[in-house]
Amino acid sequence: MQQSKTIPLRNFGGTDVKVSALALGGHHLGAAKDETTAVEIVHRAVDGGITFFDCCWEYHRGKSEDWLGKGLKGMRDRVFLMSKVCTHGRDASLAMQMLEQSLRRLQTDHLDLWQIHGVSFQNDPALFIRANGAAEALSKAKEQGKVRFVGFSGHKDPDIHLAMLNTGFHFDAVQMPLNPFDFNFFSFEHKVLPVLVERGIAPLGMKPIGGHGEPVQHGVFTAEELLKYAMCLPVATTISGVSELSILEQNLRIAQDFIPLSVPQMDALRERAKPYAGDGHFELYKTSIKFDNPEARIAHDFPLDLQSVEVKQMIYATQNTGRPYPQVPE
Amino acid sequence: MNCEDTQVGTEISRRGFLKSAAFTGAASMISSPSMAQNPGASNPEQSNPAVPNLPGEYGTPVPQFQSLRRPMGKTGVQVSILGMGGYHLGTAAGQAEVNNMIAKALDHGINFFDNAWEYYKGMSEERLGTALKGKRDQAIVMTKVCTHGRKKDVAMRMLEESLVRLQTDHLDVWQVHEVVYYNDPEKCYAPDGVLEALSAAKQEGKARFVGFTGHKNPSIHLAMLNGGYAFDTVQMPLNPLDYSYRSFQQQVLPVAAARGLAVFGMKSMGGSGEMIVNGVLTPAEALCYAMSLPGVSTTISGIDSMEVLDQNLRILQSFKPLSAQQIEELRAHGKQFQDGRYELFKSTVKYDGDLGRQQHEFPSPAELPA
Repeated sequence: MQQSKTIPLRNFGGTDVKVSALALGGHHLGAAKDETTAVEIVHRAVDGGITFFDCCWEYHRGKSEDWLGKGLKGMRDRVFLMSKVCTHGRDASLAMQMLEQSLRRLQTDHLDLWQIHGVSFQNDPALFIRANGAAEALSKAKEQGKVRFVGFSGHKDPDIHLAMLNTGFHFDAVQMPLNPFDFNFFSFEHKVLPVLVERGIAPLGMKPIGGHGEPVQHGVFTAEELLKYAMCLPVATTISGVSELSILEQNLRIAQDFIPLSVPQMDALRERAKPYAGDGHFELYKTSIKFDNPEARIAHDFPLDLQSVEVKQMIYATQNTGRPYPQVPE
Repeated sequence: MNCEDTQVGTEISRRGFLKSAAFTGAASMISSPSMAQNPGASNPEQSNPAVPNLPGEYGTPVPQFQSLRRPMGKTGVQVSILGMGGYHLGTAAGQAEVNNMIAKALDHGINFFDNAWEYYKGMSEERLGTALKGKRDQAIVMTKVCTHGRKKDVAMRMLEESLVRLQTDHLDVWQVHEVVYYNDPEKCYAPDGVLEALSAAKQEGKARFVGFTGHKNPSIHLAMLNGGYAFDTVQMPLNPLDYSYRSFQQQVLPVAAARGLAVFGMKSMGGSGEMIVNGVLTPAEALCYAMSLPGVSTTISGIDSMEVLDQNLRILQSFKPLSAQQIEELRAHGKQFQDGRYELFKSTVKYDGDLGRQQHEFPSPAELPA
């Protein structure tokens, strides 16, 4: 039997709401080998002290939300639940349809946090804030009590995040990649994090180990070093996804035994990342358009590269439907 | 043919919403299904009009004329508004072709000749040196040093090699090549780094003016410019699409112009003509746009054959600076490509030189997924 230990809790931005310093990512949950495993991961995460659960309407075409909803059954009031909306520039009415579907899949009547997913393109801020854009949906959902807090997420370019923050819309949370490579390349830590801290917006870190663990596979860092680095930044939580219980146990152990790194230790990690960070090859989500979400590219009317892995996966997933998007209910 | 107001204006408005060029141009691209809710998109019903060549753009003889010139920053030198790129001299048919091209360029008042130590393992410099024999004093000769983070002594050895290949005792402009990595400014400014070589070359009279070039990100250029070194020149990608994506003309050009640096534009057509091949811009639109931007001294364009030289000369001969409105129209047209698909030099490793990547100990492009 695992002994129940706790993970440090932190304030969610300028509010009194507390969330665990480590959050369970929803994308990797949908890649678990089956529903039973996913439900076990969620149960073990709650038991291990994680209170913040991330998800997104389009992860694995709804499977992540479905499985997370099943895992949280009977425990909804013990957790801080986030999902994200995938309008990718489209209308508020579509966003509201997606919200209803997210709530059904997650088996709840409200989300604690609802974020705009995948803010990646130069025109996303303008599409968000326009009349009838997704900004109106965020406000409406809050008014209706269907979401407590709202925010946005993206991994592409700190300047796009700053443009979102300068639309004048009030965000409660903002999600971004934070790791020692980011410190040295197109840096969210330099450009965006201080703005959030100053404005009392809850910063949410993601991609602490580079998205798919590439720096660990190449022996540049251990997972523990990277997870600790991200958790030591002034963020509300660090989102890390797992598809296997064994990885979850590793992450829980790191978070439960968490002692903040010293400033020299943080600087040493940044310095170690520097020689690798110059061309961004461990952060390709910031540079190459081959890492763009193809469904987001379609929504923006950008052409697709049929050779990209993401496009091939999308075509495979949709081959019998003729629809590029996961189904939106009528 | 040309950039006369009415004609380019007509050209752009005829094209209208050219949603499209991207979809029809590249074989690996497919168009998206039309979505009911798609506020960011142009009208998907609209057909894609062909982009015609401007009249006379190809094939007509080049009349005698002299290129316009501009002050090259604060250097006191007058430079032709179009410069001849050095990289493509290495792909030209041979020395005789290069001799003829350079003689013809000089005859039309083009006096700026670009190069780099590493282009075609030195062949580009050798070809330029041979072609300029006896004409060296008519030309502004630039080459670039390819230390890619290495020290002053490497730079000085490269300088000597460049001078030998170029058959001259001095360069007019010597630039640090390919400042494209986030740790490059730090490496350049390091003690005993390449910037000390630039100063030494100036003191020894082997380089009159010094600067740097890169194609990756405005923030890297700004880190170089804000590091305190007194550069005379700076080179950057400038085209209508740049305005909407990681923009040098919005972030770097004003800083450089305010300091009186000589600004050299490059990648006016996307680096390898991607914007032309995919129907985004005509050659005249591309060059006229780059040559019209306030603060730019010269636009470096790669020329690998007499045909391309003639095309560029015809554009140059009829050039009138675009109006502010024409510039705005081209920027508005370019905005639809703001995912950066035709400026891959800013995002992917596709335009990063092998030597530079090796010196930084980065994996080769073949080892990376994109």
